[in-house]
Amino acid sequence: MNGFLILVPVFIFFIILIGLGFYIQKTSADARGENYSKDYFIGGRSLGGFVLAMTLVATYSSVSSFLSGPGVAWQKGFGWVYYASTQVVAAFLVLGVLGKKMAVIGRKTDSVTVVDVIRQRYQSNLLANISAVVIIVFFTTTMLGQFIGGAQIFSAVTGLSYVHGLIFFAFVVVLYTTVGGFNAVAITDTACAIVMLIGMFCLGYAIISKGGGIENIMATITEASNTAVATGEGFNMLSPTAEKAGVASIPVQLFITQWMLCGVCTIGLPQSNVRCLSYKDTNSVHKAMLYGTIVVGAMMVGMHMLGVLSRGVLLQIETGASTDTVVPALISQYMHPFLAGLTIIGPLAATMSTISSLLIAGSSAIVKDIYMHSKEEKGEAIDQKKVGKISISVTAIMGIVAVLLAVNPPDIIVWINMFAFGGLQTAFFWTMLLGLFWKKANATGAIWGMVGGLAAYCITMALKIKIGTFHNILIGVGCAFILFIIGSYVGKPVDDKVGKLFFPEKY
Amino acid sequence: MQKMSYKEKFVQMNKEAKATWIVAAIIIAFWWITGFGIYGATGATTTILGMPAWFMVSCFGSWFLSIGLVWFLITKVFVNFDLEDEAPMTDVSSKEHKEVM
Repeated sequence: MNGFLILVPVFIFFIILIGLGFYIQKTSADARGENYSKDYFIGGRSLGGFVLAMTLVATYSSVSSFLSGPGVAWQKGFGWVYYASTQVVAAFLVLGVLGKKMAVIGRKTDSVTVVDVIRQRYQSNLLANISAVVIIVFFTTTMLGQFIGGAQIFSAVTGLSYVHGLIFFAFVVVLYTTVGGFNAVAITDTACAIVMLIGMFCLGYAIISKGGGIENIMATITEASNTAVATGEGFNMLSPTAEKAGVASIPVQLFITQWMLCGVCTIGLPQSNVRCLSYKDTNSVHKAMLYGTIVVGAMMVGMHMLGVLSRGVLLQIETGASTDTVVPALISQYMHPFLAGLTIIGPLAATMSTISSLLIAGSSAIVKDIYMHSKEEKGEAIDQKKVGKISISVTAIMGIVAVLLAVNPPDIIVWINMFAFGGLQTAFFWTMLLGLFWKKANATGAIWGMVGGLAAYCITMALKIKIGTFHNILIGVGCAFILFIIGSYVGKPVDDKVGKLFFPEKY
Repeated sequence: MQKMSYKEKFVQMNKEAKATWIVAAIIIAFWWITGFGIYGATGATTTILGMPAWFMVSCFGSWFLSIGLVWFLITKVFVNFDLEDEAPMTDVSSKEHKEVM
């Protein structure tokens, strides 16, 4: 009976999402007849400020923001919230720095994908193809990681088996993304962001009321922390660096690289950049910067803080259990089943909104950047109906493959997934930033930077080579930068046609 | 909505990007100074609403500061213009205007 009550809100939410997908497919039939890929992959550049902000934040906040992050905060304390709070800049930075240039140039060159913009800027098919492959590989593996995470929460809370949970919620996300395209992704992301906030508030209410108020909770946490410090067997939960036995578990070096990985370098993420091509007007992007900052801060600071406070309710987890089990345990043990159902939508929504965006952008890399581009090269006419069929098939197949792989995830993919977030930043941070702001940037530099940076990042990650306690993003982005600059001086400068398009202020 | 030529838009967008970086730098500095600064000065003994002051000021403070500074950006620095249509004449007319002066 409890399992059933939990499923009611989840079911209702899933039906709404699928309904939105089909509704958008119906209303956008005309626009798709005219230019299929523009409507299907970026929603015909029609997003307003609120939806732009929500889709950006929902895509960015994934299963880790709702599950792994708060779980670690439960263990390490306020230092981990401090660590996660670097993400407050993630929404406005990408929109403020790249947002408008991408939009202006995207319209001028009729670009639908990030790779389109890269191709126009660097005039290199090799670079464009490498970019498309990097996007496809990292997006698919990330999607897989999200499917696994989502299915785990789902089964932990509802008691359904992992595979049943996976098929159930994966079916929903693949279906609405495939039929609805980008507009459906943006609208459902907005719905997801709203239920994530609702879920967070429900969880917060449950934790604070079960724990007998903040004061009681803080007394419990302080006691647990003091005992941990005295015995040397736990973390100092009240310190920014969360020392264990006198050694900082989050050293300052890690904070520095966290500002890169989850702060500044997030402007290179293609799933964020593509959103800069999709909004309606300058007013939308201005509003999105504000709304996005409000929501991303609320989610990142809020969820991780709840992770810490939950220590006042759930003092211990089973020995040997991962801290990922903290949030599901809280939801299933301390909440009324109906509220639990409402709350569990939060992390599920975080997962689904990330998957849908990666799926549609990954599919665009295959359809627009590889298939349609080769047609254009050969000078063949593009049949919009055929593009439609191919777009829908590729999206569906990509989604289904990721789901099938998630049933029994191969080690190699789980392993690649560990590099995906930093890898995407290493590959695209300088390519986008220098491409749009430095006229000397050229194809040679971009290729060297992308390939060399990625190689350095993946190899050092794989072999666990580290500089001190810095995260390897420093090595990846650092190598990419040096190679990019050298390559740009070695290679041919951009011609005037590109120069006038991307840097009219220099002429 | 301002009428701008293609070139003027880029001059404006470069200015906006620079301002965004400055805002980010201010937030990062605030985050470091308040987090490690307050903890260094008082440890976890001072509290705000029951929670350590260093945490409240650095995390919630950086968030509120971000909202405030982004508000400043979009009202004072960022300019609305048409993303598509350009006003090709403004460049020429402003030059002529200067020549007359």
